[in-house]
Amino acid sequence: MVLTDTFTPRNFRGQSHLAARDARLRAILDHATRYFMTKRGVALEAFADREDHFGRARVARLAALSRLPELLERLERNATAAGTRVHWARDAAQAREIVAGIARDCGAKVVVKGKSMVSEEIALNPALEATGAEVWETDLGEFIVQLAQEPPSHIIAPCIHMSRADVAALFREKLGLADLADAASIPELTLLARRALREKFLAADLGVTGVNMAVAETGSVVLVENEGNIRMSTTCPPVHVAIMSLEKVAATLEDAADLLRVLPRSATGQRMSSYVSVLTGPRRTEEPNVELDGPRETHLVILDNGRAEVLADPVLREALLCFRCGACLNSCPVYQTVGGHAYGSVYSGPIGTLLSSLLLPTEDTRDLPFGCTLCGACKKTCPLGIDHPKLMLRLRERVCAGSPGLAGVAHAFLALHPLAYRLAVGAARAVDPGLNLLPRLPGLPVGLASFVDSRQPPRLKTPFSAQLRRSRKKGGA
Amino acid sequence: MSRQQILDTLRAGLAAAPLVVPAPPARPASLPMGADAWARLAEVLAPLDVRLRLAATPAEAAQHVADIARERAATSYTRWDDMPPGLDMDDALAGLSRVSDLGGGCCHALAHVDLGLTFAHAALIDSGSLVLVAGRGRPRAASLLPPTHVCLVPRSALAPDVSALPGLLRGHADTAGLPPSCLNLVTGPSSTADIELVLVRGVHGPGALDVVGLDWDI
Repeated sequence: MVLTDTFTPRNFRGQSHLAARDARLRAILDHATRYFMTKRGVALEAFADREDHFGRARVARLAALSRLPELLERLERNATAAGTRVHWARDAAQAREIVAGIARDCGAKVVVKGKSMVSEEIALNPALEATGAEVWETDLGEFIVQLAQEPPSHIIAPCIHMSRADVAALFREKLGLADLADAASIPELTLLARRALREKFLAADLGVTGVNMAVAETGSVVLVENEGNIRMSTTCPPVHVAIMSLEKVAATLEDAADLLRVLPRSATGQRMSSYVSVLTGPRRTEEPNVELDGPRETHLVILDNGRAEVLADPVLREALLCFRCGACLNSCPVYQTVGGHAYGSVYSGPIGTLLSSLLLPTEDTRDLPFGCTLCGACKKTCPLGIDHPKLMLRLRERVCAGSPGLAGVAHAFLALHPLAYRLAVGAARAVDPGLNLLPRLPGLPVGLASFVDSRQPPRLKTPFSAQLRRSRKKGGA
Repeated sequence: MSRQQILDTLRAGLAAAPLVVPAPPARPASLPMGADAWARLAEVLAPLDVRLRLAATPAEAAQHVADIARERAATSYTRWDDMPPGLDMDDALAGLSRVSDLGGGCCHALAHVDLGLTFAHAALIDSGSLVLVAGRGRPRAASLLPPTHVCLVPRSALAPDVSALPGLLRGHADTAGLPPSCLNLVTGPSSTADIELVLVRGVHGPGALDVVGLDWDI
C-alpha cells in the first residue's frame, strides 16, 4: 500500500484524534454515511427474499475460498483459452513490475485507469509514471483526489471529504480553467471532468482496471460501475490490464449472478449498478465474427500480497469473503467519527482495519484493531455475514501475543485483586492527582504511558476551605 | 515461480484448516413473467429517468425513435448493423446523418455522434437492466460514447432478473464454447454522486437512455 511518513496506520491514534476534532469533516461524514445508509435501507426494504439472497452470496464466496487454488488454476486455463494473458504476482512489487512491463511493451504514453482499490494497494501509479506514461484516474472521485494528490477517503466515494468549492478551486488550478467560479454547479464540474477525460480515453494506449469478480468457469472478469469510465477504459484503448486480488474469484456464472444480486444493493442501494461488464478475452478478430472495438490484447494479473497466508487462519480468513460494498464503513461509529484518512491505509473502516492488519506489517498496524467499539454494527450490516468484531478480537490477541511485560503482569495482578488495585490507584493519586506526571516518568513502558495518557481520573473534590474562600470573594465583589 | 508459491501456500492453508461450506439456501424463485411485464419494466426504469415507449408495430417503433431523436436534438447517429427484423431505422432517422464507417478507430469515429441505437438481447425486469452482447456489427462504443443511447427491446427479450445472465452468456458462446468478448448490463444512464453526493446523470457514458419496447412477436 502507499504508505508515506504521514499516511500510515502507524499514526492511526494521532490521525483519529485530529480528525475527530475537525468539525467540518464530522459534518461531511455525518451527511455521507447517513446518505448511504438511507439509500441502502430503502433498497433492502424492497428486496424480496433478502436473507436468502444474502445467504447464497455468502455461500458463493465461501465456496470460492474453499477451492481457491483449484479455481485460480481453472480461471487461468479458461482466461488463457479466451486469449487473455494471465500473470501471477506474489507481492505489490511484482504486480507493479508486471503492469509497468506491459505498459513498456505496448509503448504506452497515456494510461487510463478505472477505480480500483487493489491498484491503490500496490501503489501502481508511480510505477506506471516511471515508465514515462501519463496516468489518469478516470472515476470522477478518483480523478479529483488524484489532482489533489490525496488518497481516497471512502471505498465507494473517494472524495466525500471535499466540497464543490474545493473541487472548483482544484479544477481552476490543475485543469487550467482560470475563469471557473467557486460557485460552479456540480453538473458543470462533472461536465468539465467529462471533457478533460474524454480526450484521455481517446488517446489512451492502455486501460487498467480492478476486478469485482473473475469467473473460473469462463475466464471472464466482471466489472461493476456507474460512470462508464470502466467501460471506456475497456473499450477504447488497444490493451486492457485487469488486476485482481486472488480471493475475488467466483466458481461459476451462477455464483457471479448471485453476487450481482446483492453487491449493488448493498453498496449504493441500486438494484443494479449502471454498468456491469462481463469481459472474456480480447476483441474477436477472426471471421466470421470480426469486432471493431474493444482491446486487442487483454491481461489478467492475479495478486496475492499476503492473502494466501491468511487462508490458513480459520477465523481471520473470513475477511477474504469481502466483495467491497463498503456498507460496514458507513455503519461504523468510529468511521463515522474519524473518516477514511485517519486509518492511514487504502482500506478504511471495519473491513479496512481487518485487511490492513492482515496485509501490512504488524508493527505498522498494532493500533488499528483497538480502534473499534465492538458494537457489531458492521457484522449486522455485512450482507456476506462477516463477523468483524470476532476478527478484531482475534487481531488484538495477535497484537498482544508473546510474553507480557512487567507492566502487563502487574496490571493482571491488580485486576485480579481489587484491594491491591485500590491501594495502588490511591497511592498513585496521592502523588500525582491529575495523572500529569506519570506518563512523563522516564523508563515507563510505552504501553503504560499511553494507557495513562489517554485516561483522566475523576477530579478530586475541591476542599471545603477553598470553596468557602471562592464564594466569599464572589460575594464581596 | 510466484504462481507455484501462491498455489502451494493456498493449498497448505486449506490443508491445515479445511473450509467446510454449508449448503446454500435455495435460490428464491424469479417473479413470473405475466402480462404486466412491460408495466413492471416501466416502473423500475422511471426512477432512473428512463422512459419506456411501447410500440405495437414497426411503424410505431420508427415513430418513437424519430421522436426521441428530435427531443434530444440529435443531428447524427450510429446504429448496430443488426436490428430486429422488419425495422427500417435508417428511414426513421432519415433527417440525421449516419456514421457507419467505423473501421480503424471506432471510438474516434463515434466520439462526436449524438445518438447511438442498439437493441437488447435481454431486459431484466427486476432491475431494469438491458443486456447488450457485443459482436460483429455490434460495437461496444455505440451504447457508450454518444450522449444519447436508444435501445430497442423486443418482447421476446424480457426476462425476470439477473439469474438469466449465465444462460445468456452460454447462449451467445461461439462454436468453440467461448462466451462473447463483452456483455454489458446497462441500467439507466451513466451517473455519479462523487461530488457532495449529488446525483448527476451523464459522466463518461450517455446522460440519456431511451427504451423502445417492441410489443409484437419477433
